[in-house]
Amino acid sequence: MSDGKAQDHLDRLLAEYFRAEPAPAGLGRRIAAAARGPRAELTRLEARLGIEATPRGVSRVRLGRSRRPATAAARRLAEQAREEIHEYLRGQRAFFRVPVDLADVPDFQRRVLEAARLIPFGEARPYAWIAARVGHPRAVRAVGTALGRNPVPLILPCHRVWRSDGGLGGYIFGAAVKDRLAALERATPVLEGCTSTRIVCRVGCIHGRHMRPDNRVVFASVDDARSVGYRPCKVCRPAA
Amino acid sequence: MADERGLMARVARGDQGAFGDLVQRYSGKLLAVAGRLLGSRADAEDAVQRTLLQCYAGAAGYNPRWAVSTWLYRILTNVCVDELRRRGVRTAHAEGSAGRPEASSSHLPPAAYLDLHRALERVPREARVLLALRYVDGLSYGELARIRGITINTVKSQLARGKALLRDELAKRGAGHE
Repeated sequence: MSDGKAQDHLDRLLAEYFRAEPAPAGLGRRIAAAARGPRAELTRLEARLGIEATPRGVSRVRLGRSRRPATAAARRLAEQAREEIHEYLRGQRAFFRVPVDLADVPDFQRRVLEAARLIPFGEARPYAWIAARVGHPRAVRAVGTALGRNPVPLILPCHRVWRSDGGLGGYIFGAAVKDRLAALERATPVLEGCTSTRIVCRVGCIHGRHMRPDNRVVFASVDDARSVGYRPCKVCRPAA
Repeated sequence: MADERGLMARVARGDQGAFGDLVQRYSGKLLAVAGRLLGSRADAEDAVQRTLLQCYAGAAGYNPRWAVSTWLYRILTNVCVDELRRRGVRTAHAEGSAGRPEASSSHLPPAAYLDLHRALERVPREARVLLALRYVDGLSYGELARIRGITINTVKSQLARGKALLRDELAKRGAGHE
């Protein structure tokens, strides 16, 4: 068979494989209903958050009022945290840059929180996974308690830890918020490229703020982006 | 084309009937692309739902210089590519748990479908996305370039590379020739 014929055959195969199908009945109605769905939960949460920081990092995120920062450096960090949380809750940030201060946190809890930090954005792991990572595979309940006392929820992602049976488990801001955060992270991409600069950034990078929506393309990996002529950002360093 | 843009203007004003028309007009093609990229009907419907939701929510920011289909495909590929990224992470975490393809909706004989599906899995992601867009809707190189934010030359080289890989894979399986 000549190359030309083989190509024609491949074209026919591909055309058959990718042939469009009729949309399922009621899809439009379902989408319109989802468009009216609740997003208010996260907006309400954000409005009620109190954020405290020391000069070393954010030390407390809780509902209610927060104490005045002791120094200018602490105030700047608390403001940075508020800004980053605002972007995160609007689906415009997939990572936190602001440092956290865990100096007052007991050793076991610190290790639990650091293990939770390893769970990728948009993913979930069971409590038992954390217990195994901190070297106490049977201490599942203690892990739950340690996560429940997370001083900096949202920034350290204890909401990504679920029960082994797929149940949500508890959450400091309530199970409904935990569920909304999972949905939010599922709908937020992690890597975006700018079509005018051909630079790929992590979502939330300072460069992304100036990007027009028309110029935004999502990539699955930095290698994929490189394969079509994009280079990684030197500020947020998505390849690191 | 003007008709499409008029439809988008009505969607931007919150006209639900216009949005229904938009869904009717495009969801079949969007589903075909998403279904073949993601492999499962449920994930594809979810991706199309998210795409159309973003379209509904962002209709006011729609730039009429774009064809509506190009704009929708940009949103859809953004959603699907991110889903593929997540799936990569998930597969690395729980080896072997990735979903299998659903061949039931294919028009091809099952063996040919499966061979092509497996061959496509060997094609790099970006080339696979371009192949899907090219064959579902016969989009031009220019439109593909705009959708993925790349140059026309990159589109051409990615498509050629993807098809060469497919031919090799299908030849290995003995299914690429009649």
